[in-house]
Amino acid sequence: MSEAIALALVVENLTIDIDGASVVDGVSFAVEAGEVMALVGESGCGKSLTAFALLGLLPDVATIVEGRITLDGLDLSSLSEREMQRVRGNRLSIIFQEPTASLDPLATVGAQIAEAYTVHHGVGRSLARAKARDMLVAVGIPDPDRRLTQFPFELSGGMCQRIMIAIALICAPRVLVADEPTTALDVTIQAQILDLMKRLVAERGTGIVLITHDMGVVATIADRVAVMYAGRIAEIAPVEELFARPSHPYTALLLASVPGRDQPPKQPLATIDGQVPAADRLGEGCRFVDRCPVAGDRCRSEAPPLVECAPGHRAACWHRDRVAGLAGIAA
Amino acid sequence: MTDLDAVLEVRDVAVHFAARGGLFGGTPAPVKAVDGIDLTIGAGETLGLVGESGCGKSTLSNAIVGLVPPTSGSIRVRGHEVAGASRAALHALRRNVQMIFQDPVLSLDPRSTVGAAIAEPLAVRGVARGRVLKDKVDALLAQVGLEAEHAGRYPHQFSGGQRQRIVIARALALEPALVVCDEPVSALDVSVRAQILNLLVDLQRRMGVSYLFVSHDLAVVRHIADRVAVMYLGRIVEQAPRDVFFAATKHPYARALMSAVPEADPVAQRAKRRTILSGELPSPSNAPPGCAFHTRCPLATDVCSRERPRLTPRPDGALVACHHA
Repeated sequence: MSEAIALALVVENLTIDIDGASVVDGVSFAVEAGEVMALVGESGCGKSLTAFALLGLLPDVATIVEGRITLDGLDLSSLSEREMQRVRGNRLSIIFQEPTASLDPLATVGAQIAEAYTVHHGVGRSLARAKARDMLVAVGIPDPDRRLTQFPFELSGGMCQRIMIAIALICAPRVLVADEPTTALDVTIQAQILDLMKRLVAERGTGIVLITHDMGVVATIADRVAVMYAGRIAEIAPVEELFARPSHPYTALLLASVPGRDQPPKQPLATIDGQVPAADRLGEGCRFVDRCPVAGDRCRSEAPPLVECAPGHRAACWHRDRVAGLAGIAA
Repeated sequence: MTDLDAVLEVRDVAVHFAARGGLFGGTPAPVKAVDGIDLTIGAGETLGLVGESGCGKSTLSNAIVGLVPPTSGSIRVRGHEVAGASRAALHALRRNVQMIFQDPVLSLDPRSTVGAAIAEPLAVRGVARGRVLKDKVDALLAQVGLEAEHAGRYPHQFSGGQRQRIVIARALALEPALVVCDEPVSALDVSVRAQILNLLVDLQRRMGVSYLFVSHDLAVVRHIADRVAVMYLGRIVEQAPRDVFFAATKHPYARALMSAVPEADPVAQRAKRRTILSGELPSPSNAPPGCAFHTRCPLATDVCSRERPRLTPRPDGALVACHHA
């Protein structure tokens, strides 16, 4: 692959079934080196399943029935579990929401950071330890020599998330999957971690797939955004374009439902009536149809494809022309 | 000094917890979870109480509803003292103060129907029974946007947002003067969050209830609160009317909090000059002397580590506890 822009990760038509229902349906996106690509959506939209599928960590009930995941030209779906283990934590790594639950309580911080490096590079202990120390410095942990010998319970949540990032980045992965990395943290600590992630991506050229439900986090750190609804991408766009010109009714309503500077206090926020359809009730048409204020007949019978509405901006809606008015009313 | 219109008056309230003794005996200093708090909430008013984990906002809420006895100070609800009240007096007081928690799943008994849950406070206090009680439950369900037929169902048959509606209906059953809302929308999805915020505002307009709205989310507080109070390590560091607070935040901690809030606006977010606080919240069992924030404060000088700044009024109506702001 010798394209002008280095695509670190390409996901094509990813479809994941649970009990015969496509809970992730035809999801495609790409992540460039040094780019933060956000997958945003509410509970049950399939964003976390997509993340797990990238790492080959899907639960047994879920199966990939279609699609291709390519990391730096390497087709991950063709790999055996053994081969996948060499990729995971090395060229592709993940951090989770709960840093304290992700760390081994019985191993020192130093041992846990060094482990990833030893496993993937087969180096000796002292070299791995020196590398671990460098990582602690890189993720902004003061007094690294003392921290290396400490256990997770001795550290705060924000500190533990920095450790997780150090573990995830020690092998200089091409892509880091971050699943709600700051949701469990306080706002001032969240700001520190987002800043850190942004700096590391810029310095190291790592691509990030950021899974989040928080539009504020998206606005702070993402370069591009894919909005997911009921297993499908509803809209995908560069971040400023998405917030300025949402072209799918779900995106427009989601943005208008977040209290912001422009909303007069105590005036009604936009809401989305109804609920996400259950997995066994996904019809033929657009999955947002039952809750959509601009839906027409065609929306029921035929799923709208993702269509380009501006450079790099695609939305899956038959009635994109009606969305602008919707955002206007809501705002 | 008693404000006649005040629904809640908190004067110099402290809640200290005894710390566990060390290995070699000796009595360690108590954990000052809440210290020297003064607050007033008027009828139909919402006070947004903001702070991060461990700042004492939940302890203060618990003290106000009488779940934790304050170590010192006075808490009056409609003029009646909560601090040191007997069980019987507290029982009477709770009619006027109700609480809504973050997680609606944990707030409802899974084996009790929704109707029974909402009817319970009314039945316990003998407010209504029989047909009247049923009508009252139906009316409460309607008020929070649910149907009368929902009364026979169990909590697990509802979504998270609907369950929070049920919790709100139960909290309002006795027509309390004050509802303490502890992070009531934090566990909900964004679109559902908007529904619950709209409902809380609407109920306040119709019933004149006051809210103490505890949250870590300044965007939500800006939307719903009339006044804002910011806590740090057990104390209020700034208190101001909403518009004053958001137009001219003064305390360096409150300013850092404001700049850390990720706003849903990429252009503003990227243009913003953010103050990233270094370090983390010190432990309340070992709070720094002087101003508790001086260890992380960009403005701190010598005086800050020696003298604790008092909350002092500013010309625009804000109260700020800082030597330099």
